[in-house]
Amino acid sequence: MPRTTTLECPGCPPLRALTFDVLGLIKVIEARSKEGGAAKVVERWGEPDSSKCVLAASMVDRKKDPLLAVARKNGTIDFLNPLNGHLRFAISNVSDTANRPEDDPISGLHLFASKKLDSEYGCCTLLACTMKGKAIMRSYDNTLSPDLISSGSTRTWDVCSSGNILCSKVDGSENYVLFGGKGVEMNVWDLSECAKIWTAKSPPKNSLGIFTPTWFTSATFLSKDDHRKFVAGTNSHQVRLYDISAQRRPVMSFDFKETPIKAVAEDLDGHTIYVGNGSGDLSAFDMRTGKLLGSFLGKCSGSIKSIARLPEHPVVASCGLDSYLRLWDVKTRQLLSAVFLKQHLVRVVFDSNFTSEDAVGSTRDPSVEEAETVNEYENGDEQDTQPVKRKKSSKEKKANKKSKKKSNSNETSADDEGTKKIKKFKSKKRLKREIPDDSS
Amino acid sequence: MAGKRKKSDGEEGGGGEDEPVIKKEKTKKEILPSMIKNKDKRSEIHAKLQHQKKLDKRKRAKARDAAIKRALELGEEPPAPKIPRTIENTREFDETVCMPDDEELFAGNDADEFSSIMNRERTPKILITTCRFNSTRGPAFISELLSVIPNAHYYKRGTYDLKKIVEYANNKEFTSIIVVHTNRREPDALLVMTLPNGPTAHFKLSNLVLRKDIKNHGNPTSHEPELILHGFTTRLGHRVGRLFQSLFPQDPDFHGRRVVTFHNQRDFIFFRHHRYVFETKETKQTDSKGTKTKDAKDKVSQEKIKARLQECGPKFTLKLISLQNGTFDTKGGEYEWVHKPEMDTSRRRFFL
Repeated sequence: MPRTTTLECPGCPPLRALTFDVLGLIKVIEARSKEGGAAKVVERWGEPDSSKCVLAASMVDRKKDPLLAVARKNGTIDFLNPLNGHLRFAISNVSDTANRPEDDPISGLHLFASKKLDSEYGCCTLLACTMKGKAIMRSYDNTLSPDLISSGSTRTWDVCSSGNILCSKVDGSENYVLFGGKGVEMNVWDLSECAKIWTAKSPPKNSLGIFTPTWFTSATFLSKDDHRKFVAGTNSHQVRLYDISAQRRPVMSFDFKETPIKAVAEDLDGHTIYVGNGSGDLSAFDMRTGKLLGSFLGKCSGSIKSIARLPEHPVVASCGLDSYLRLWDVKTRQLLSAVFLKQHLVRVVFDSNFTSEDAVGSTRDPSVEEAETVNEYENGDEQDTQPVKRKKSSKEKKANKKSKKKSNSNETSADDEGTKKIKKFKSKKRLKREIPDDSS
Repeated sequence: MAGKRKKSDGEEGGGGEDEPVIKKEKTKKEILPSMIKNKDKRSEIHAKLQHQKKLDKRKRAKARDAAIKRALELGEEPPAPKIPRTIENTREFDETVCMPDDEELFAGNDADEFSSIMNRERTPKILITTCRFNSTRGPAFISELLSVIPNAHYYKRGTYDLKKIVEYANNKEFTSIIVVHTNRREPDALLVMTLPNGPTAHFKLSNLVLRKDIKNHGNPTSHEPELILHGFTTRLGHRVGRLFQSLFPQDPDFHGRRVVTFHNQRDFIFFRHHRYVFETKETKQTDSKGTKTKDAKDKVSQEKIKARLQECGPKFTLKLISLQNGTFDTKGGEYEWVHKPEMDTSRRRFFL
């Protein structure tokens, strides 16, 4: 018998994640617990085109009107509906300058969930930061017409004069934003006044007298409520904890393996962080003590580009250059599921309002609508399984318990010109509400 | 194997052969020689088992031969020969294997760093250099590489930093850099970098045989060689295959009858360089040693086209250590693939 040690991957709880890759494709990965919990690709939005390589993405997953913003290499920022991938509108050049967008790519993007800048309801506010240091905050109004470019106020400011901005993050209360990069020390800005409130100071020379140049590659706030503590990872494989209220130098710093820290993500409890580096090692640290809690071992051979934490379940996702999206259990650090996605992945975000069928009964109010929407879901599911030619699609066919029903007219592809797959998740998964019908 | 550890009270010591035999008939694998503590007895029983196995095997082989002979006499099809189990046959299923109908693969190919060379927008121009230390066979190897790869240039390393060399090469419009690394005065590793900011592959080099050490070697001409890339199945393998493809010009000269082969087997890439010639051989029925006599067709003689090869140029083996996403950068590098010991979960798992 061949001697193999196979890793059994237990399934993962129901979840939905969106991944972005270098060809500009957005892939939706779902795991439903009734199918053994293995995650698989259910949809793919966009055409492969390397000029549309995704540089940054941000999602506001509210229950009403969720929105996804995607910044691409050719300078456009697309606003999509994360449920079905429809393009709401696109902005071609957010910075409005004479620079070609390829010279000054966007390195950070954030969509605000709460309203900012006195914008009306139905708008979204966006904060974008380019590599050369320009930060733009703009609000866009899409209720008037789908092609409207911008409205409301715009604020632009320069974050740094020299160097490249590589990482930026907005804190949980959406009042503060931090920037850092190559040659740029970490600095925290207050958004309401657009003023820099704090800058870091680099640690002193080490015992040999060597001064490592500043090069921050990733950063995140330590917890959602506190904007004063944040963690930054450097190019020289160091992880540093800064506390604004304490001092300008890092409060704690430690080394992590030998390649640059490409991604950090915070856990919900406010003191654990997940660190991913350039050779694919993912580990959890406790920031109160600086101790390594454990490593996530699982054949990840490519640099980790993005880590995301699912809020409801103890699941962490990591994606990277080895084209795999891996889902891990937080407590046991075991690999729950790995999905091969064929391209270098740039970012992963979770859609936290996803509820699978099993959980439907507990969260819905009237049962009539529930039955109807459950039927619609099954229907949509069946429709979806035919065009999907994914490698794991044999499992999805198992889910076709119900016989084929006639699809409702509002579900079919009458307005689905752009997307390939017929899928309308919107009324099934969410609690009831109006979705403005997309007319893209 | 854990299930076979059953208690065997009666077989210990000088127990008679009856008990084990009876028990063997009842449940097949109850007695293992390793359960017997007495060394003499244990080795005796083990020898008996081995002998038994050998006899069984010989019996089966005889039966097979008899069946084939009988079938031939009767004029029927002989039973098909059994396929031996090899590691390549039983390779673990890999979902990253490229499928021919994968449009994302083609799109990815169009978008990757090699596409400009594949589209013939740039002609390959290679810069070969070494590491800072001297080596005995290094210069000979490099001179042979210069003859194998067309449009390759050798520059002495001096004490330049590799990043500076990359900059210099970019200015002079080279498409790739090959660095031959030396360890203990032997070429040991190969670093292949695609420019301007393409992936860097780090290979371990072994089993280098130079041209002068090959018996009956040929001398290569200067025609553009034909390239054969065999065995690169997974996505990673495909990428490495394209990396090699970008080193050679895209329009081979078939009249030159020169071929360079990169054959991947079990994650080892074998490099060979041959000159070939096609010959038609008339094989008569009686001469055929290898062909089965069942080809008793009406033809008296068959023409077979054979290719005869003459090896020229170096031959060596490469193994991929890591694939980095940018140019060579140990400190700030992002790895697309790096070998980690935790990935070797089975002997039947290969990555290329």
